[in-house]
Amino acid sequence: MFVGANSAAPIVAWTDAEKSKLFVNVLGTKNRQEFALAPGTVSVEIHAPHLVQSEPHFLVHSRTATGNRADVYHINLKTNVVEKAYDLPELAGPGAFSTSSDGANVYFTRITEDEMILLSSASHGVLGRWPLNTKNSKASAVHAVAEVVKKSSQANSFAVRAAAVTSADEWTLIRNGETAWSRPEGMSGAVAATFAEIPENEELVKSLEQEAHSNPLEAYIHRVKRHIDDLQHLPAYLNAIPSRLISSIMGTEVSAIDGKLSRDSFGFHKLAILATRRGMVYGLDVGNQGKILWSRRALKLSKGDSWDVTGIQAQELTGRVTILGSNGDRVVLEADTGKIVDAVAPGPEKSVQSSAIVDTVSGQQLLPVGVDGQIGDLPSDQTPRQTVVTRGSDGELKGVIFTANGSSSYETTSWVFTLPKDMRVVSVATRPAHEPIASIGRVLGDRTVKYKYLNPNTLVLAAVDDKAQTLSVYLLDTVTGQVLAGSKYDGVDTGKNIECAMSENWFVCSFFGQYTLRDDTAQSLKGYQIVVSDLYESDEPNNRGPLGDSTQYSALNPMENPEGPSLPSVVSQTYILNAPLSALKVTQTRQGISSRHVLAYLPELHGIVSLPRMILEPRRPVGRDPTPAEAEEGLMKYHPTIEIDPKTIITHERDVVGITKIITSPAIVESTSLVFAFGIDVFGTRVAPSFLFDILGKGFNKVTLVGTVVAITAGVLALKPLVLKKQINSLWKAPM
Amino acid sequence: MRLLHHLLLLGTAALTLAAPKTTTLTLLLPGPPFLPNPNALPPSTHATLSALGTHHSAPLSVANAFTFSNVSAGSYLLDVFCATHAFAPLRVDVAVSAQEGQDLLVRVWETYRGNDWDNKGESVKVGEGNAFEGRVVGGKGYFVERSKFNAFAILKSPMILLGLVSMGIFLGLPYLVDNMDPEMRAEWEERQKTNPMNNIMGAATGQSGAAGGFDMAAFLAGSAKKEDSSAEAVAPGPSKGSGNGGGKKGKR
Repeated sequence: MFVGANSAAPIVAWTDAEKSKLFVNVLGTKNRQEFALAPGTVSVEIHAPHLVQSEPHFLVHSRTATGNRADVYHINLKTNVVEKAYDLPELAGPGAFSTSSDGANVYFTRITEDEMILLSSASHGVLGRWPLNTKNSKASAVHAVAEVVKKSSQANSFAVRAAAVTSADEWTLIRNGETAWSRPEGMSGAVAATFAEIPENEELVKSLEQEAHSNPLEAYIHRVKRHIDDLQHLPAYLNAIPSRLISSIMGTEVSAIDGKLSRDSFGFHKLAILATRRGMVYGLDVGNQGKILWSRRALKLSKGDSWDVTGIQAQELTGRVTILGSNGDRVVLEADTGKIVDAVAPGPEKSVQSSAIVDTVSGQQLLPVGVDGQIGDLPSDQTPRQTVVTRGSDGELKGVIFTANGSSSYETTSWVFTLPKDMRVVSVATRPAHEPIASIGRVLGDRTVKYKYLNPNTLVLAAVDDKAQTLSVYLLDTVTGQVLAGSKYDGVDTGKNIECAMSENWFVCSFFGQYTLRDDTAQSLKGYQIVVSDLYESDEPNNRGPLGDSTQYSALNPMENPEGPSLPSVVSQTYILNAPLSALKVTQTRQGISSRHVLAYLPELHGIVSLPRMILEPRRPVGRDPTPAEAEEGLMKYHPTIEIDPKTIITHERDVVGITKIITSPAIVESTSLVFAFGIDVFGTRVAPSFLFDILGKGFNKVTLVGTVVAITAGVLALKPLVLKKQINSLWKAPM
Repeated sequence: MRLLHHLLLLGTAALTLAAPKTTTLTLLLPGPPFLPNPNALPPSTHATLSALGTHHSAPLSVANAFTFSNVSAGSYLLDVFCATHAFAPLRVDVAVSAQEGQDLLVRVWETYRGNDWDNKGESVKVGEGNAFEGRVVGGKGYFVERSKFNAFAILKSPMILLGLVSMGIFLGLPYLVDNMDPEMRAEWEERQKTNPMNNIMGAATGQSGAAGGFDMAAFLAGSAKKEDSSAEAVAPGPSKGSGNGGGKKGKR
């Protein structure tokens, strides 16, 4: 358990299985000494000095479930007998001890929940005591390393600084009881995150409801009263005007007034809820440079365990965030305060494979899916309306529908999609839940329209065959399980990252490929690639395919046309990239009018790139310059390489390491999409794929605007008398 | 360093007689004219050697080199990833030489992304210990400079210059005229009257140049008398139909 200490009297120490006794052996001797530990001890730590010249003293720090105590032992160098010198009282909390030696003196620093105590190893006399000021963070130190400096001016005056890891996964420096700095290192192991809206003022909502339900006269009186009541905020509002005006002119961000969380008119002010594998949940203020609003331990994990979060969902109506773990655990928190509303402890074994956000009668719900793809019976208010696609025990895909049976509903497998043997699924992509379509077609240069294949019930499945080194990408109909489109890529490195993303009527897949071209076998390729595929209703423009103008469509009953179900027409193109991509994600905007960008993490370059969809366009003309009609459409000549332009890297020069996932969310303004990336590092920003067309950017210089107006006014005022004089003079001059 | 490589190579050669052969590759950073200070490169700089099923990654060493060990025969794509500089991709071919018991043969070319893999670029010299030099394409610029307000730049623009000059004439000319001595002024005014340009301007300001030969405003309004007669004279020309319209318009 412990071997070491200073070389004068090194020791070996261990405990029995029940942690009731401590055995100590001084190295070089044969006898072992036994000491009783306090009843209920759960863990024991031994702190001993490491310098040769320091005294052979050591401290045994034993923790019980509720508190911690310590015993200091001295080793007699002559007889090698270990004897207890003194003990320190039991205090609540885990507590942390650290040893520091200064010459022969050995000091022990004890950090408790509210104090920092300095002791000498020789006696139990307290050398220094500082109240702990941890700035409203309630965490207590778990492990610490301290440095003790004896001030030469006074006899018994010391200064201590300690670096400590706290129970809230923070890394902090405590200097004489004051927190010098602290870093939220616990955020490094982020596994899941979601955007959450700042909950709106409930009182206002209530009073508005009240108005809606009473008779018009009463409602009117109530409203007037409410408005009169609102007048009390007027002085504060007027007070805030100068500072807001100045910050607006200077281009600085307007911070929340009096520290209260409130939504802004652009929709930039949201919360990001981040769950880490160490069982902590953080609430970050996206609109305020990612300030940590709260952090909460949602789950106590034993050493070495990590929290496997299968799903996270923020509900706007209730302002709550639900996190589902793989062991059947469930945590519900309030998004703005982090207060845990409801918690279900994790079970002994993995019981949840994944979870899906489904539409039910009672709004959107996070639905856990069992390990073998079984969901089980559900009460009717939690029954999903759509088909849920799950993974079976043999890796097959299953479509599950629910049939109502009284107050509950039972699941039925509606289809099964089994992959060919030796193939395994590497990536599944679906269209985002929030995806408004601004236009159902693309207007071509000659004013004809190519109609987009917009089927909400589709998913992209990428599967690889490790032996044959092939990648197969399928587009599945999730209602029927039918393959709508499929493509196979040879010479794909299945060991490297393969990922897909889907949006609107297109999807992208990225992989490392090395193969000979099919249409020209003399040529071969090698490199990181991205394939983009567009789906259209038919090959020809102005043709809506077999479905024509019909307003209703059923994937299950496509028998009206003899050719079978209508398959989309796929246009694909491959581009070679100069760096591998991972964590693909497509930007989201409120109305879907702005063009879309593909966001991806560059694992080799440690950055996040934003690839415009304009470049990743499968219809770019190959081998010729675009015709004027194509140029009008915005198509450029196809060039097989996409060199990632550093200017499209949204993390700029920052070294952003280990991003595993990127999430996006629309803002209220159409131009902007909020981006949040997490993994080892956490990065958040706003992107404007079609530039900031609806708000003034930071580049808009308000000072210049005001200055120009003032200068022109001054000029006009100065020139006015001159011009007047000249005009009068010219009128009075006799014509020559 | 070199010696160490040799030793390593010897070691690997001796050890791997039976096992599939591997070799060690070293990519050196170019010197000062291309890369002023290789030591200033960020520590995340690394190089990767990739082919189907294999992936090697090498960090930047103190000797400003990337060393890949245990590279087996094959054709590889070599990329250097650096936050501040862009490097040209290289094609590295590690081939089993014809003679038995010899080291693996390493050849390096520049390659062009998106082109045929056999479309090799310039060959790169492979020195001792399979060391070869990479090529820097250029620095990376992550930022676009935002155009700032600059009074001088505004003053330099031709439109503003034109405006300033005309304002100077507008304000300065009366003073000049006033300060002229009377004889010269009379002479100048005489010349002004004969100047056609002045007439045009004069007409615009309402000082109709009676002595002038051409009145622009009057002409545009179609009210000049002299022109009428000439128009009448011209009207019965060769193209009666089209000419007539113009003539009649002139009359009214």
